[in-house]
Amino acid sequence: MKFLFALIFALQLSAANLSIYPPQVTLHHIEARHQLIAQGDDNGTQSDLTRLARWTSSNPAVASVDAAGKLTPLANGEVTIEATHNGLSARIPVRVDGMDKPFSWSFRNHVVPVLSKRGCNQGACHGALAGKNGFKLTLRGYDPDLDHEVLTKQSQSRRILVEDPERSLLLEKASFRIPHGGGQLLKKDSLEYRVVRDWIAAGALPSPANASPATEPEVVDIEVFPPSIRLAPNAEQQLLVRAKYSDGRWEDVTSWAKYTSNDEGIAQVDDATARVKLIGHGEASVSVWYASKVAYARLAVPYATPVDPQKFTSFPRRNYIDDLVLAKLRALNLEPSPLASDSMFLRRAYLDTIGALPTAEEAENFLADPSPDKRAKLVDHLLARDEFNDYWANHWSDLLLVSSRKLGPLGMRSFYQWIRDSVAANKPWDQFARDIFTASGSTRTHGALNYFVLHKDPIDITENVTQTFLGQRLTCARCHNHPLEKWTQKQYYQMANLFARVGVKNGEEPGENYIFAKPAGDVLHPRLLRPLPPAPLDGQALRLDDPSDRRHHFAQWLTSRDNASFSRNLVNRVWGNFFGRGLTNPVDDVRATNPASNEELFSALVKDFSTDFDVRRLIRTILLSGTYQLSSDPTPLNAADTKFLSHYIPKRLPAEVLLDSFSQVTGSPTAFDAYPAGTRAIQLPDVQVKSEFLNIFGRPKRIVCDAGERSSEPSVAQALHIINGETLNQKLLAPQSVAALYLKLGLSDTRTLEHIYLSAFSRFPTAEEKQRAQAMLTAARQSGSGPSALPSALIESRRQALEDLLWALLSSKEFLFNQ
Amino acid sequence: MFRFDADRPVEFCDGTRRRDFLHAGALSMLGLTSTQFSALQAQGAVDQSKSPVNCIFLMLVGAPSQLDTWDMKPNAPAEIRGPFKPIKTNVPGIEISEFLPRMAKHADKYSIVRGMYHTAAAVHDTGHQMMQTGRLFQGGVEHPHFGCVLDKTQKLGRDVPTHVLLPRPIGNTGGNMPHGQNAGFLGKTHDPFVLNADPSDPNFRVPDMLPPDYLPSLRVDRRKNWREAIDRSVNRFENSQDARLLDSTFHQAYTLMTSQKAREAFELHRESEATRTRYGLNRFGQSCLLARRMVEAGVRFVTINMFETVFDETTWDIHGSRPFSPISCYQDLVGPMFDHAYASLLEDLHDRGLLKNTMVVACGEFGRTPKINPAGGRDHWPQCWSILMGGGPLKGGTLVGASDEIGAYPKDRPTTPAEVAATIYRGLGISLETELPGAQGRPIPIVDRGVEPIRELFA
Repeated sequence: MKFLFALIFALQLSAANLSIYPPQVTLHHIEARHQLIAQGDDNGTQSDLTRLARWTSSNPAVASVDAAGKLTPLANGEVTIEATHNGLSARIPVRVDGMDKPFSWSFRNHVVPVLSKRGCNQGACHGALAGKNGFKLTLRGYDPDLDHEVLTKQSQSRRILVEDPERSLLLEKASFRIPHGGGQLLKKDSLEYRVVRDWIAAGALPSPANASPATEPEVVDIEVFPPSIRLAPNAEQQLLVRAKYSDGRWEDVTSWAKYTSNDEGIAQVDDATARVKLIGHGEASVSVWYASKVAYARLAVPYATPVDPQKFTSFPRRNYIDDLVLAKLRALNLEPSPLASDSMFLRRAYLDTIGALPTAEEAENFLADPSPDKRAKLVDHLLARDEFNDYWANHWSDLLLVSSRKLGPLGMRSFYQWIRDSVAANKPWDQFARDIFTASGSTRTHGALNYFVLHKDPIDITENVTQTFLGQRLTCARCHNHPLEKWTQKQYYQMANLFARVGVKNGEEPGENYIFAKPAGDVLHPRLLRPLPPAPLDGQALRLDDPSDRRHHFAQWLTSRDNASFSRNLVNRVWGNFFGRGLTNPVDDVRATNPASNEELFSALVKDFSTDFDVRRLIRTILLSGTYQLSSDPTPLNAADTKFLSHYIPKRLPAEVLLDSFSQVTGSPTAFDAYPAGTRAIQLPDVQVKSEFLNIFGRPKRIVCDAGERSSEPSVAQALHIINGETLNQKLLAPQSVAALYLKLGLSDTRTLEHIYLSAFSRFPTAEEKQRAQAMLTAARQSGSGPSALPSALIESRRQALEDLLWALLSSKEFLFNQ
Repeated sequence: MFRFDADRPVEFCDGTRRRDFLHAGALSMLGLTSTQFSALQAQGAVDQSKSPVNCIFLMLVGAPSQLDTWDMKPNAPAEIRGPFKPIKTNVPGIEISEFLPRMAKHADKYSIVRGMYHTAAAVHDTGHQMMQTGRLFQGGVEHPHFGCVLDKTQKLGRDVPTHVLLPRPIGNTGGNMPHGQNAGFLGKTHDPFVLNADPSDPNFRVPDMLPPDYLPSLRVDRRKNWREAIDRSVNRFENSQDARLLDSTFHQAYTLMTSQKAREAFELHRESEATRTRYGLNRFGQSCLLARRMVEAGVRFVTINMFETVFDETTWDIHGSRPFSPISCYQDLVGPMFDHAYASLLEDLHDRGLLKNTMVVACGEFGRTPKINPAGGRDHWPQCWSILMGGGPLKGGTLVGASDEIGAYPKDRPTTPAEVAATIYRGLGISLETELPGAQGRPIPIVDRGVEPIRELFA
């Protein structure tokens, strides 16, 4: 038994290749330590052999390596480090220098990271806005200078005692020699304790003796190894994090970085050791934070059941989307579903592209069309339909928060009209955004300018524009460096200062405003109490005395091809419309630490889109892909997949589309207050239009830019409304409803059923369905009529049976879901 | 089992005999097979030996100030003790704020836990999560509300939902995080039934609870049967979470509609004017009255949000400046609103013999700064606050823990939200050893190992 276990274990970790990461290392000082990772690779599946490999140094007097792959420098020189495992071996060169130079711990590069790692400066402790017990640090150490002052100058300097470091309050509390609300955070024999103690003993300087805070190297980047790998089920993987400093050197910061898994059902990470344990199948990412820099590692575990290779080769490859989806499915060993039937594709493409069902006639014609390229023709047809403009105008009106709530009827109308005109003209997305940020004048004639009526102050504009056009939530950085992202408070206020000179004044008509560039005005940084040169997030700054309209500078940066977030945001939002979830999810969250389900695919789409910013072409590419045209019928092997696109995931129709579909199939339109008869719900420019149905089914309020405002989750209230509410019931009951029409035309049961199925499901009923429905109608007729029934009673009972059958079809999952 | 016309044979058009679809579906809609259910029973998660204990959970959105309500410091300096004075209660040694005179008469029916604290960020949302699930949400895991855990572990198959949330879910409180009011990783089939209506509205009714006049029950039933038959012929939805949720919502809707008991429970007009007035003719007061009716009808857990948001609404969130509330509102509006509703609820439950098996918990999401701020208000302070617990197996008339001289930190018996969770679970008869199925089947204990209920509250 023992032998068997050992055998399995060995098999699991067999590798065809062995390599060491990083490929070379330089240790710069006496305290430098470096984790090495021995990584095995067997045909794309990797394994962490760090703890199994035998490590040796060519000259242990220069640098030694322990059994866990950790390097320690001993003298200046060069050595080769070797790892061997099961007959495989790998070597890397290691250089040691700086052993002859004095070394002291740095406040910003060592002490603050220790405090961050131990949680001292987190939001719940001394990093809180009000501090804790009179001791306040900056959140996660975003301002080391201020932290240094607080530690060394406040509290009569009892926190730091250079002459007797161990008696410093900082160490006494953190090691719990004096009671501390946060418990024991530093053990006396730990490296972290020694870092703080030795730093104090060396004078508790803001920067080491041979540097000044201005010249001391700072962290400019971090990288994590492995960035992306595939592992076997139940594998463990050691992570390695290295920081790059402004002087070009790299150091291992693994033990002081912080780690979080985005899916603990797949991967769990131990924050103390940076070891990841894989416990599920699929893909997870571990995000890494160090010194306000972020990175992430992607770890995939393929599904276990073998897939017939034929399933991969028969995947309908139509364009680059399919190649990249297929690569991911192969990597995760996920079987793709087959191609969707014509009727499934037809209904899906209509609903997703123009927000309407095909009529029975359209469905019948499409199904009867024998031409091999009919799907491509349908795609072009849909892209040219006027309903396309209604549907996407509604989509972007959600994004830009079009509503009469703050804009009034005039502003709401002109804002909406500009959006719809832009969609109809297929205005490139960069120009669409520029329209907002480069125009001046009347909001009545330049509808886009209503944006500045909705968002009046620079703070609101800054936070909204990053959410709307960049898919990033910046709000945290208003008060401190973003704790999870790379954005700093300085960047925030530099960005806000771009919008400090947007002027709004009343126009001639009620509800009309004029937007203009004011000649002066600045936003002050709240801590520095002075304006900072206006700059878009990571873009070039303008001089404070630059007289040009700052918004133009912003627009240029925003819509530049180099600004990947601009394209990622749009691509992800469009993708989400078709697939029910974004490549990063939620659809409006494309921050750096939210990895995509298929990054290669996401990058390719973004690259393609940013050549011309043509939204309609992007939609066309998606619609034509084999991926979009896969069946929604899962196979036993891919049923668990919800994000790697092995099959189409059914999604409930959006509120407006569902209401319009009810109207279309029943032949009874919905009336909206103050809108002309025949206006469809998707055409409403304003979410203030009263509709109980739309509210219950999750129409967004358009108050804050947040994709979560629109809900497609089923609820009991929705079920009750379908069963008892006035919407569907009244449509079925209406004198002009389709039930009346069927009776008036005297259609046979068979033809009636075909028509209903075609208009509701875009398909013919199966023989079994026909038989069943016919039996239902017959039974209903019999139960509603006796031998003495009057003809009018017969007609009434036949009509009621039709209504009830329609109700049952329109409340079924096949109808309520796009599939 | 839920048919309107139980005496009529059901016609099925596919020629098959009717199996009890709804009944067979009921357990699977819970996401539980009957073996899993038995397993939970065997684990002791389902304790059916005693009459079940209910819980009414009053979420005092905005967070009451401990110093101005249930933990007053009359001897502290003026900038600490604030504008209000303490009054005696019917339990010697327990004093509460002067604007709560009615609840002062019932101090024997609740205990005050004065050493509450939490260590997460001082935003409302985190406190809502912890006070209603026992945990802070991390690593993408959303934990279930107590009432949803109850639905998962002890669903009794009554006509009414296990867990009802009144009147509406918590909306925006500034943190853009989940508030811990749904079933989280247990799946939406265990979400509470949300009223989504204002019970103080003169035309209050549960939206769409009854079929319109022109639809006789015969047709409602026919539609239901036909719909089920049509749905059953398409099986592509078996793996879709949303589709399973849709099934369960229809199932719940039909159950609600067909139960006279469930219907009547929502009919507030059956209460006398005097009773309705006693609770307070406002959203919170009428929600508390409705909660009593819910419990009488068999609902096990009722969550009431006293407010929907903290912005532009007068609430417990007394920062002292717009868009928040001034401290004076405790005396003018918020305090009396709570006093009438809470006292009436305790009185009615007691008089009707329901208090002995109904816990009543009232809590905010954190406390408030001991020192009055420059705007004359108090800001967020998760380091120390007080909550009210009583009813069911929980003792009344007790003080648990104490804060320091200025209500800034627990001085004695600090208590965490996790301990409150353990107390509620213990009270409901759910074993603390229970493990819930998390993502990919990973078991998640309802409370972390080692977390104990508040012992002092159990006799």
